[in-house]
Amino acid sequence: MVSFLALGGRCFYLQFCRNQHYSEACLGQRRSYRNLRPQRGVILDCRGRVLAASNKVQTIFAEPRVIQDAKATSSELAPIVDMGAHIICQLILESRNPGFTRIKTTTDYNQCSASTKIYGIGVQSDWQRHYPMGNLAANVVGFTSLDNRGLEGIELKYDKELSGSAARNIFFADVYRRPIRAKQQDGVLTNGKGIILTIDATIQQFTRDELFKQYENYEAESAVAIVAEPKTGAILAMVSLPDFDPADIRTTDPNNFRSRAITDWYEPGSILKPVAVAIALEAGVVNKTEKIFCENGNYYGKGLFGRIGEYRRGFGDLTVREILINSSNIGMAKIGQRLGKDRLHDGLKLFGFGRKTGIELPGEIDGLLRPAHTWDGYSVTRIPFGQEICVTSMQLLRAFCILANGGRLVRPFMVRAIVDNEGNITELKRPPPPVGYIVKPEVAKWVVAEAMASVVNEGTGKRAKLDKWQVFGKTGTANIALSDSRGYSDRDYVASFVAGAPAEDPAIVVLVSIHKPNRSLGKGYTGGAVSSPVAAKIIERTLTYLGVE
Amino acid sequence: MSQFRFVFVVFCFTAVLIFAVNLRSANDRIFYERCAYNADMSRLKQELGTKQLLLEGLINPAAISQRVDKSNTDK
Repeated sequence: MVSFLALGGRCFYLQFCRNQHYSEACLGQRRSYRNLRPQRGVILDCRGRVLAASNKVQTIFAEPRVIQDAKATSSELAPIVDMGAHIICQLILESRNPGFTRIKTTTDYNQCSASTKIYGIGVQSDWQRHYPMGNLAANVVGFTSLDNRGLEGIELKYDKELSGSAARNIFFADVYRRPIRAKQQDGVLTNGKGIILTIDATIQQFTRDELFKQYENYEAESAVAIVAEPKTGAILAMVSLPDFDPADIRTTDPNNFRSRAITDWYEPGSILKPVAVAIALEAGVVNKTEKIFCENGNYYGKGLFGRIGEYRRGFGDLTVREILINSSNIGMAKIGQRLGKDRLHDGLKLFGFGRKTGIELPGEIDGLLRPAHTWDGYSVTRIPFGQEICVTSMQLLRAFCILANGGRLVRPFMVRAIVDNEGNITELKRPPPPVGYIVKPEVAKWVVAEAMASVVNEGTGKRAKLDKWQVFGKTGTANIALSDSRGYSDRDYVASFVAGAPAEDPAIVVLVSIHKPNRSLGKGYTGGAVSSPVAAKIIERTLTYLGVE
Repeated sequence: MSQFRFVFVVFCFTAVLIFAVNLRSANDRIFYERCAYNADMSRLKQELGTKQLLLEGLINPAAISQRVDKSNTDK
C-alpha cells in the first residue's frame, strides 16, 4: 500500500510539478534547428553579364574543446582536406576560440562529407560574394562585408533589395539528428532581388583600359571617365582611378573605394564654356555672327573684376564660335557680363549645377554654385570660364548630355531594372521621359554640331578627331586652388575633355577628367594633350562596338 | 464465439497500431528523403553557380582583354 502511494506520489510529482522541465528536455532532444540564410541578389550589366553574385562555400572547422587527441584528429583529416597534418594540429592547438577553428574553405562537397565523419570536425555553409570582373566596375558595384552587408556602391545603395529575408526551420530529428518531421518555420526565406545596370562591361573595359594607360603615363593623382547615352541618360561606363579589387579590400586604401565621378568636386575650367555660351544664346545676349573684342589678351577692370588674361596668346575680334575654338577667357568674361549674374546663375542651375544628379550611387555631393546675390564682378566674369564654381564629373556630363539631346532635360541613371529570382522585372528603374527644354533645340544643335565640332576640327581638341565620325568636344585645363592660401597652384591642374559623336545625332557623350598629371614629365598637362586622346579612343571603340555608322 | 471475437478485436487493434506506426515511420522517412533531395538539389545548383562564376571569370571583357594583351606582349 505504501509502495503504491509512493509510486503514485512520484507519478503526480513528475506529471504535474516537473511537467514543463521534462517536456522541454524531451523536445530539446528531438528538436533540431536550421537557419536559412538568403542568397544575395546578383548584379548584372546591361547584357546580363555577372558583375557580382553569391555562391555557397563550405567551411570545414574543428571544435577544439571536444577534441581529445589533436594529433590523431589532424592526421585523420589531413589527407581528406589535402593539407599538412602539422598545420591542422597547429590550428587546433593555437585556437583562441574553443568552439570554432577554421581549417579550410572549400566548394568540394566530397571533402566536406568525409570530414564530418571525424569526431570534433564540422562543416559550416556560408554565402560568399564573388566579383568575376575584379577591378573593372569596382567603384560602381562596390563590395560587401563578411556578413554580406553592402558597404559601397550599388551593394550599399540597394542593400535592402539585394539582401532578401532569412528564415529558421524547426524540425523533429531522429537519433542521428536527421530531420524527420517539420515542426514550424520562423519567417519566409526570400532570396535577394537582382539588379540590372545600364553599365556595359565591354564599354567599361574600353574606358578603363584607355584611361588607365594615360593615368599611368602621366603619373596622375586620380582620373575619371564616364560614357553616357545622351538621349536616355543611361550610363554605359563609369571608371574612377585608382580603383580596387573587391576580393581584396583589406589591403586597399579606403580612399580608392569612392566613386570619384560623384563624390569629388573641382573647378571645371574651360570645359564649362559651351554651357555658358548656350545660356547666352538662349537669353539672346549674343548672336552667332557678331564679333566680340577680346582685348588682345589683357582685360582689366580695376576694383570690378581684376585682370583676366588668355592661356597662351591674346585675340582681337572673335565670334562666339571662335571664342570656343580658341578657348578665350576674355571672350567668355564679356559674355558673362552681358548675361549678368541672375541669368547666368539661373541658367547654370537649370543645367543641373549645384545639386545632385540623383544617380543611384551613395555619397553623391551637390557641387558648389553660390547664390547669385553673393556674386561680385569677379564671379560674373570667372564663372563663364569655369572658375568660382565647383562641379562633379557627373554634373558636367549631364550638362553636355542636355546639349547633345537637343536641349532636352536628361537625368542620368545607372539601374535599369530590379528583377526577382524568376527573372521577372519587379521594378523598372528607367526614369520617365524628360519633359521641358533647358535651351532651344536650335541653340543646342548649333553649340554641339557647329561650335564644339569646330573645337575638334580646328581648335584645342584636334587630337580627338576621328576619320569615321564627326566628333564634338571641348577641352578644359583647370588650375587647382591652393588649400593653404589665396590663388591657384601653378603646378597642379585638372585636364578634362568632354566629347561625343556623331555630331549630327549624338549616340554617346564621354567625359574624361585627369587630376594632377605630372607636369615635370614634359609630356603636357592640358585637357587637349592628356584627356582628348583618351576620349577619342573610347569613342572610336564604343561606336564600333555599338555599330553606329 | 466471444473468445473468437476478443481475439479478432485484439488482432485488428494490433494490426491498426502496427499500420499506424508503419505509416508514421514511412512519413518520417519520406520527409527525410525529401530534405535530402532538396539539399542535393541545392548542392547541384551551387555547383552549377560555381561553374558559371568560373566561366564568367574567364570570358568577361576584362579577362579577355588581359589575355589579348599578354599574347600580344609574348609575340
